[in-house]
Amino acid sequence: MSYVANAILLLVTLGLVLLSGVSLKYIFFGLKPALPLIIVLAILQLLFYGDAFTPHGMASRTYFRWGWIHITNGSVQLVIVSAARFVELLFLTSLLTNTTTLTDITHGIEDMLKPFSRFGVPANELALVGTISLRFVPLLGEQLETIMKAQASRGANVAHKSKLEFVSRARQVAAFIVPLFVDAFRRGEDLILAMQARCYVGGRGRSSFVRLRFQRMDYLAYGVGLVFSVLMLGLQSYFPF
Amino acid sequence: MDESVVVTREPRLDEPRLSVRSIVVAGVLSAITILMGWTRLGFVPVPTAAGNATIMHVPAIIGGVMEGWIVGGIISTIFGLFSFIQATVPLFKDPLIAILPRIFIGITAYFSYAGVKRINEYAALVIAAAVGTLTNTILVLTMATLRGYMAPGVAVTVGITHGLPEVVVAAIITVAVVVAWKGVETGRGEAKM
Repeated sequence: MSYVANAILLLVTLGLVLLSGVSLKYIFFGLKPALPLIIVLAILQLLFYGDAFTPHGMASRTYFRWGWIHITNGSVQLVIVSAARFVELLFLTSLLTNTTTLTDITHGIEDMLKPFSRFGVPANELALVGTISLRFVPLLGEQLETIMKAQASRGANVAHKSKLEFVSRARQVAAFIVPLFVDAFRRGEDLILAMQARCYVGGRGRSSFVRLRFQRMDYLAYGVGLVFSVLMLGLQSYFPF
Repeated sequence: MDESVVVTREPRLDEPRLSVRSIVVAGVLSAITILMGWTRLGFVPVPTAAGNATIMHVPAIIGGVMEGWIVGGIISTIFGLFSFIQATVPLFKDPLIAILPRIFIGITAYFSYAGVKRINEYAALVIAAAVGTLTNTILVLTMATLRGYMAPGVAVTVGITHGLPEVVVAAIITVAVVVAWKGVETGRGEAKM
């Protein structure tokens, strides 16, 4: 809850974005869907959280009071700090998804789950579930489009009904969802057959075409990240405002 | 779900295993969950303040009902992960709210289905959908209250206005899908329970 700490974090995230080579415009674009929410949240915090929070080591000062609306230095700080935190969070998550392919993330998850296989977590199988689901999303998306066109050509009512008729809305959705599920199951059955025909016995003893190895850069990134987090946590009380 | 896989090497007993069927069904149903989230097809407008009832948890319920609690648990975990990644609301940027409560959707759905199945399969499907949906609503709101995002009174209101339409919608879709699939499976081209 400090301006200085958040300014540092903001600078570091911006530095990371510049380092990654992803264009800033792209990252800011990811901020757009969240903007209305950030603004509404900020207004609510500004107006109603005046008494809830006083800045660390400072006396509470009232800037404005009218009825139950109460704006203090605490609520102003709360607004700025939580907006900054939100921006940092969104920047970091979109940085991950913009720099790492889904297959790489899956391989990473598989490697991370590996130590847990000793305790009964089927790491390879779980990673395979992830790969299959990511692989099936575009296929099923195409299928969904076909189904929607097919239903529309049969005269399915896709027009918006009133919200009160939500049971018939659910039936409408079911007209698209049910064929989608059935198609997915059918494709799944084919895949099961294909895997069984090729004697799939799980991940043990399998070699992998893609082998991820830790490079010096990875250790460096981990090290810097860890040191930075520990410093920020440890020096928490040294940021006065 | 027994399958006749030719095992080239005797698997050790302590090695965790998931059958090919479980892996594939979990993967495919998770894909539907992700697709429903991306296309906004997973949100049905309802007349309450919340505006939308989600049906994104329905694949988890169906997976639990059809392939057991492990598959249901995996799909609901992926649903949680996806809603955590996609979240724009601070409430769901908290993994303790977005992921942890969701794990149990498919698990409770399976056990309630298994319990009632012997009496009436149709009723069992409706009950599984209701229990799975309420697991989602109640656990998420409980966690939100415990983590201090919501006052208990607000949580109860949201639970009632949000939970009840979701139960109705989820039950309709679960029954429709499972009945349709069982119809295909028996090759009759029509539903048979």
